[in-house]
Amino acid sequence: MLRISLLLILLFSITINSQNNAISNTEKLVYTASYNMSGILTDIAAVTMETNEVKTSKATLLRLKCTATTYSKWDNFFKIRDLYESYVNPKSLTPYLYNRDINEGSYYKNMKYTYNHKTKTVKTVEKKKNNLIKNKTVPINSNSKDIVATLYSIRLYDFSNMPVGTKKTLPIIFDREEIKGQITYLGKETITTAIGKKECYKLAIASSETDVLQGKNSNFLWLSADENKIPVYGKFKIPVGNGELKIKSASGLKN
Amino acid sequence: MKKLFTILALIAAILAIILSVLPISNLAFFPAIVSIIFGAVAYYLSKKTGEVKKVIQFIFLLTIMAMSITTYKAIFTETKVASTEALDATEIKLEEEAIEELEDLDIEDIEIDEADIEIDDSDIENITFEE
Repeated sequence: MLRISLLLILLFSITINSQNNAISNTEKLVYTASYNMSGILTDIAAVTMETNEVKTSKATLLRLKCTATTYSKWDNFFKIRDLYESYVNPKSLTPYLYNRDINEGSYYKNMKYTYNHKTKTVKTVEKKKNNLIKNKTVPINSNSKDIVATLYSIRLYDFSNMPVGTKKTLPIIFDREEIKGQITYLGKETITTAIGKKECYKLAIASSETDVLQGKNSNFLWLSADENKIPVYGKFKIPVGNGELKIKSASGLKN
Repeated sequence: MKKLFTILALIAAILAIILSVLPISNLAFFPAIVSIIFGAVAYYLSKKTGEVKKVIQFIFLLTIMAMSITTYKAIFTETKVASTEALDATEIKLEEEAIEELEDLDIEDIEIDEADIEIDDSDIENITFEE
């Protein structure tokens, strides 16, 4: 009987994990990215995270799209128009296609990943200025995701039943290399945001690549402690001061 | 000593002016405060020795200008996003390309129905294990 109940718990936990109760297909979250130096804030860019449904003849997919756009006062100095998007399974958030199109000042790069989950490989195509094209196929782990799909999949964890201090490792494929991201659940915290006072799950994020995120315990993310688990606030360590990501508006939420 | 403070205050004042005209104008407050402190020290020291040089008054003028520009910008500049036409066009183009490509991909596992995953408890309850 014990064995059966263990098996049941295991099977049920798999079913729960594979369901998406947090992300709708009409969601739009707008953030302000700013630089904080000793309490003086400078707004730099608007970051949006949007989802929409994409239909092909065979399936319906969820398109996860993140854009970063510098505010007009910055455009003459350093113009950023970045787009990251991932086409995923609406239930499990397994990615099928990923696009990264970055326009930063005079720098341009486009990176496309096409996943093949059967052979556990990703076909990558990199395009740069002057039509420089590089193709490469890289092997991945079965649960590797791109950065956008990873960001959204954090929201599928059930933090309400998670003991404080739980660590989760997320394999992320970035710049054709697999890096290990790690999130640590630090407990609940109530913070004031532009969309009201919110009870949040506080997470510490770290990565195996030291130049991506600095410091071991200095990058945090706050997810609203409701069914939607939307990221409402982020704090990132940079050489001088802090980078901050604050929510401005949220619409089209699932719950 | 007097000279050192005057030079430091002048450097801080110039830095404040430069920062105040850049988009990071809010940060101009830091050198402006430094400039006022050093300027005040230089002013005090010069007053003790008698003559107050014109350059110290000029430092104060610069600092006040920098602070005025910064305050004005902090209050009246709207943070808004402009000229996103290129980005919007890229979005549409990438989506079209992606749909085309996704048509060719093998995405059968997505069709798994939730009902297939669910377990029927009653069947398992009936199984008896002989230990």
